[in-house]
Amino acid sequence: MKPEELLKTRADLEDGIKRLIGRAVMVIELDIFALPCGCSGYTANLRGFQVDDLEVFEEHILKLLESTSEAVGSPSDFVFARIIPGTQEIASVNVRNLCPRCYSDFASTSGKRPRPDIYILRLNKRRK
Amino acid sequence: MNKKLYVPHPGHFDGLQQMLESSKDIYSIYMAGSPDYIGTGRVNLGHAGLEEVARHTEYCHSNNVKIEMVLNSSCMGGQQLTTEGYNLIHWYISNLEDIGVDTVVVADPYLIEMIANEFNIPVVVSVLAFVDSSQKAEFFEQLGASSIVIDSNVNRHFDVLEAIRDAVDCELKLLVNEGCLYRCPFRYAHFNFFSHVNGPPPRPNVQDDYYYHKCLTLRINDPSLILKSPFIRPEDLKEYAHITDVFKIGGRSHFINWILNCVNAYADESYDGNLMDLMDCPKDLIDLFNIPNKALDGAIEQWKKHSTVCHTCGYCQRKISEIAQVYDHKGTIDEKLVQWNTITNKGIET
Repeated sequence: MKPEELLKTRADLEDGIKRLIGRAVMVIELDIFALPCGCSGYTANLRGFQVDDLEVFEEHILKLLESTSEAVGSPSDFVFARIIPGTQEIASVNVRNLCPRCYSDFASTSGKRPRPDIYILRLNKRRK
Repeated sequence: MNKKLYVPHPGHFDGLQQMLESSKDIYSIYMAGSPDYIGTGRVNLGHAGLEEVARHTEYCHSNNVKIEMVLNSSCMGGQQLTTEGYNLIHWYISNLEDIGVDTVVVADPYLIEMIANEFNIPVVVSVLAFVDSSQKAEFFEQLGASSIVIDSNVNRHFDVLEAIRDAVDCELKLLVNEGCLYRCPFRYAHFNFFSHVNGPPPRPNVQDDYYYHKCLTLRINDPSLILKSPFIRPEDLKEYAHITDVFKIGGRSHFINWILNCVNAYADESYDGNLMDLMDCPKDLIDLFNIPNKALDGAIEQWKKHSTVCHTCGYCQRKISEIAQVYDHKGTIDEKLVQWNTITNKGIET
């Protein structure tokens, strides 16, 4: 992915969320990552976006993140938000292509909030 | 207006050289020392040991610029009152005195009295001692303070500033561009957190700075909070001439160009650009909001009259709606500015 495409993808995501919630928001950083465990994906660090917004617009946010996934070339089987525990503040939304070990960690949990800092928007279960 | 500008150290010696070569408007540089002795209330780009402090002091003095050490931890966990803490702090200040630093800034009243009694370095009361009344200013002067950085929350309360000026003889300093929320509810907790992060170990290892997150969220949702923030515009310095001629520019975590841009703006008492360029905090919003500084010409007259009860005034709310712009597709070829009031309450596009 070329830098200018990544810049456009960040701006498109920010613009999409802004239009959705009807007020300003910042995608302060969009990172594509690869981890030594085998996970890969992208993280959009957000400011001005809160849990209430996510709960109300979850379906629409998922669509936006799918578009971003297509742009960065990452599957969107696992999508989650990272929350500052105990608060309304969403630090980031993340799309992660899980490695087998991390998949088993997350797949063994239940519910949207398996940890105080995580809100799962989507976890597609794999066939055994 | 003749004035003394206190300017943040850029964190490294080369940067200091570049700053002093580029500007002749700097009266004093201020810098934090090593966090291993006394912490500081803010993030710094450099952690100078004593040898480095000596080198920087010598260089500043050779350029006729003063140097101020900022040791303004707002929370030291009580260590300053222990025998070990006293000995360590005493040893550290002795070294700073031997090096020849010009002033030392502290926030803790105990340290103000101790340094004033036991050393020959003028001691400055930090903005983190929250001096917001003439009574508090008198108290700190009696403890031995030679200078007080007034709580920026009262930067627009001219009655309070004038009362402080009347009450004390010591030097007064105004922090012009801190950019924090007016009467910020996170202020004490946030500076205590910073003090531990930037102080002696053990240091908390946190993933997210809740206070900073919340500060940004509040302003992104309501940019009138940016105007309510008690910054002093470069154009308005002259309004403070009867209070002081000493102004401090915040920005210890910024790059040299940013600092120099601020120095030039405050030295010239004019800035034709985005107000966010000058705000030390929160610096991230520079990529979201464009608030033309010149559109605020004359706002000081309103702030002089009405600076305390926002909900009955409404000036900043109206003004921001009129002048604030938001970047759209920033960083791309499609980048443009749109009026902030056109994007609010739009809702879902279906």
